[in-house]
Parts: sequence; structure tokens; C-alpha cells
Amino acid sequence: MYYPEPISKLVDSFTKLPGIGPKTAVRLAFFVLNMEEDDVLDFAKNLANAKRELTHCSVCGHITDTDPCRICDDRERDGSIICVVQDPKDVIAMEKMKDYQGKYHVLHGAISPMDGIGPEDINVPPLIERLKDEEVKELILATNPNVEGEATAMYISRLVKPSGIRISRIAHGLPVGGDLEYADEVTLSKALEGRRDL
Amino acid sequence: MYIEELTLTNYRNYNKLTVSFDQKINVIIGENAQGKTNLMESVYVLAFTKSHRTPRDKELIKWDAEYGKIEGRVFKRNQSIPLEVVLSNKGKKVKFNHIEQKRLSEYVGSMNIVMFAPEDLNLVKGSPQERRKFIDMEIGQTQPVYIHHLTQYQRILKERNALLKDLQRQFITDSTMLHVYTEQLIEHASIILERRFLFLNKLRKWANPIHEGISQGKELLNIDYNASVNVSEAMNSEKIRMVYEQHFKNIENKEIDRGTTLIGPHRDDLVFTVNDKNVQTYGSQGQQRTTALSLKLAEIELIYEEVGEYPILLLDDVLSELDDHRQSHLLNTIQGKVQTFVTTTSIDGIAHDTISQAEIFTIHDGQLVEER
Repeated sequence: MYYPEPISKLVDSFTKLPGIGPKTAVRLAFFVLNMEEDDVLDFAKNLANAKRELTHCSVCGHITDTDPCRICDDRERDGSIICVVQDPKDVIAMEKMKDYQGKYHVLHGAISPMDGIGPEDINVPPLIERLKDEEVKELILATNPNVEGEATAMYISRLVKPSGIRISRIAHGLPVGGDLEYADEVTLSKALEGRRDL
Repeated sequence: MYIEELTLTNYRNYNKLTVSFDQKINVIIGENAQGKTNLMESVYVLAFTKSHRTPRDKELIKWDAEYGKIEGRVFKRNQSIPLEVVLSNKGKKVKFNHIEQKRLSEYVGSMNIVMFAPEDLNLVKGSPQERRKFIDMEIGQTQPVYIHHLTQYQRILKERNALLKDLQRQFITDSTMLHVYTEQLIEHASIILERRFLFLNKLRKWANPIHEGISQGKELLNIDYNASVNVSEAMNSEKIRMVYEQHFKNIENKEIDRGTTLIGPHRDDLVFTVNDKNVQTYGSQGQQRTTALSLKLAEIELIYEEVGEYPILLLDDVLSELDDHRQSHLLNTIQGKVQTFVTTTSIDGIAHDTISQAEIFTIHDGQLVEER
């Protein structure tokens, strides 16, 4: 199918987005042609700005438009607790909870020798530096509950343990509001393992 | 439990087939390439949602059809339950009692099957991998959590091996990460080993007397677990963990040297001995077959212990390979308790006793005819 060059270039750009195949890309491209010019220009500007103005916070590694980020800069927050997560999206998930008042550290990945990712390839060394400088009393390891996430959590805990900082791992088990009967056996057995006294 | 009725639609060489079975013994006679094994396979697929012969579901669908379907009515716990497996290019759907089951793992187990086919001789003759697969599948059938430990173990093992390769080539020198993986590996390895020991204990309890019976008391079967570390079956997972910890510490340098994980459940094996001789290396063809048969018959009893109902037994082309005495012992063991399907090319090879009690079918080019 022949398209004028500006359209085929636009289609090409859309296909670079996740979840967008060739057909959707064509649909989106033609939709853009019918949009108001101001909206299109805004769209383009926003795309460019998101990339240009957002950086990773030099302290915690979270995405931010100011450095240090708003969370690191917030004096109301408790700097003695750091929650370690794998991904900026995890910070956003934690923040939605509005319950956690400590700070964060974003690793941008997990250790996996199979994929050639070692501790130095993710944000681990800055975390160790950070623990030396700041008054940190507790480290919450909130990496994903899979093999890579668990290994990363254990690695960090081995590195940090000698310093005497309290280290905890988030619990895994049953989802809140769910029914026991719908949980799979593995989740149930994990939940049973992590039971606590009442 | 038993299959009351089976319906195949566009399955392998079957266009459409509906057949009712006897509660006890069903003998299916047919020449080669008429669809005997396909019929057995369809029952297997109805139970496990996948074939024992191929990993590609597409092969199960009749070559010119869009989809294939297996429906069965299984009688268990005093009621008749419809089961259905639909295979198509887009994937498969399973229904239990007309309700679609989203997760295959929740469907598997609706119907229990023990199959004995010529390739099962590999259980005795084949590589250690075959025996590990056997033991893992048997435990997994009744303990889904075991499968979880096994898959976690395999993933950690891959990461650990990749790391050991890096250490071997000195891309990295810090061994902290290795210790992390070792600790994680041991956690799952010790549970896997404990569960395997418990299973073996039960297996022996049934397999040994069965083997003695089949061989008219002439052969004494024993099953040993050949572990890559020095453990005894009396140990619990806590003790096993300590043994692993010590052993991994001792061989760390060797592992780095070789660039791979040298011990663990993935290196273990089962050893079958008859009259103190290793069947795999020194056993006759007949002894090997009897050993495999004893294990399969023990499996029937094990499933009964776990599930409370006898599974369905499929004997694909193996009965005529046994001598009259072994045949009649086999049929006596399952007598009246286990619904059994027997396929054979000719009725001649089968002892008269069996035939007289059985429902006989002949099969020709995907058509099944009930003889009596």
C-alpha cells in the first residue's frame, strides 16, 4: 500500500509504541490528520518535553523534572526509611497507596546473569553510597516476587546487613478483598508460610 | 472411575466416533495404522490436555479440519461427569461439567490415567532424565506446589549456571551473587528431595510386592535414590538443607572451574535393582519390562491412595509382549477394580481368560465395531 511520505513516517513512529501494530498505527496516523492543528502541535511538544525535561533523580533514580525529585526533596517525608523498587512505575503504585511516608530507591531492573545484568548494571552501587551518607534506619526491599527480584533482594540484603541497618522484605500472599477459594495453591502455601500471630 | 462414553470429532484419523465402554476390560483389536494408538492417545489427552506423543497440538487435529474435539463422560464418586477438550489452531479449551476451565492446571486431575506403552521401557532403559521426569510427573499430579518448587529451581539453576560461566571466564570476581543463588537453590532443592523421598517410600511399598507377584516370587525389586550429595531418606528438608549447604561450600571452586552447577536434584537418578543386580545394565528385556510394569501398577495404587478412586489403565500394544503368567497376574491385580483398555494387533497373543471377560472391539480405518 502506498502512502504519502509524511503519513508513512508517522505510521512508522506509531508502530514503535508498545501494543501498537501496523493496522492501529495507520488508524492513529489518519486520525492525527483530522485533528485540530493546535492539538497536534501540543501533542508533539508534550512528547518532546516528556523526553527532554524528564531525567532520573540523582538521589533515588525515580523519573523527575526537578533534581532531586519531589519525593527526595520533601522534608515532611521520613528519610530514615528507604523502599527499594525495580521500576519507576512501582513508585507510582506505592504512592497511590498514600500510606507510605518514607523515601524510595529505583533500581531500574533486576539482577539476571542469564540476561547479562549484574549488580553494577542496575542502580545498586548508588544505593550503597546513599546508605553511607544518609541517616537510614530501615531498608524495605520491594522487588518483584519472582526469581530475579528475590535474588536482587537477597543480594542487597547481604551487602547491607553488616552495616546494622534493619532490612525487611515485603510480604507475599493473598490479595485483599479476594476469596480464599480462588487463590492458587502456590499463593496459598506462601500465605500460610507468612502467617502471623493475632 | 471409568469412562462411560467417548466421542471424537476430527481427531487424528477419526471423523466422528462415539463409543460406549465396558466398566472393566476393553480389548481393541486392529491392524497397524488403523487408529488404535490414536484412540488411546485421545483418552490420554482428555485427562492431561496434552499428548504423550507430541508437544504440538496441531498434529492431533484431523489434517483437513479447523478444530478437533474429544468429549468423554467419566463416572466417578457416584456421578457421571462430562469432560471436553477442544483443540484448534488458536489454542485449546477445556470444559469440566460443561463449564469452561480457564486454567488447565485446574482441569488436569478431573480424570486420572495410568498409561503403559512400549516407550515406557525407557523408564528403565533410558537416560536418568526419563526417570526424573517420571518421578516429577507422578508427584506433580497430586501436589501442584511441588511443580512450583521445581520450576523455581530450574529458573534459579539457569541463572546460577550463567553466573558460574561469568566467574569461570573471570568476567566477574565477586562471589556474593553466587552465594545468593546457592541459598535460593538449596531452599527449593531440599524441599524437592524431601518430597521425592516421601514419594519413593510409597512407591516401594506397592511396587516391590507387585513385582514379586508378577515374577512368581523369583525376582526381588528394589528402588534406590542415587543422590548427588550424601543424604539419607530418613532426613527431613531441614537436614537435607544442611547437607547441601556444606557440600556446596566444599565444591565452590570446582564449580567455578567447570562453570556449571555440579550437584542438586537435576543430577540425581533412580536405580532399579532386581535380585541385587542393576536392571538398567544387567537386566534382560523381560526383566526390564516387568520392572516398568510393576512401577505402572504401583502408580495405580498410589493414585488410589491419594484420590480415593482407581485411575483408568491404558495398555497400548504391551499385553501381548508379556508371557501368559505375567498377563494373568496383571489382570488379576486390576481385576474388577480398574477400567482397562488393551490394544493389540491380534487376539492370539492374549490369554483366553482375559478375552472371555472382556468387551471386544475391532478397529478398521477409524471405525470401531463392537464385537460383543
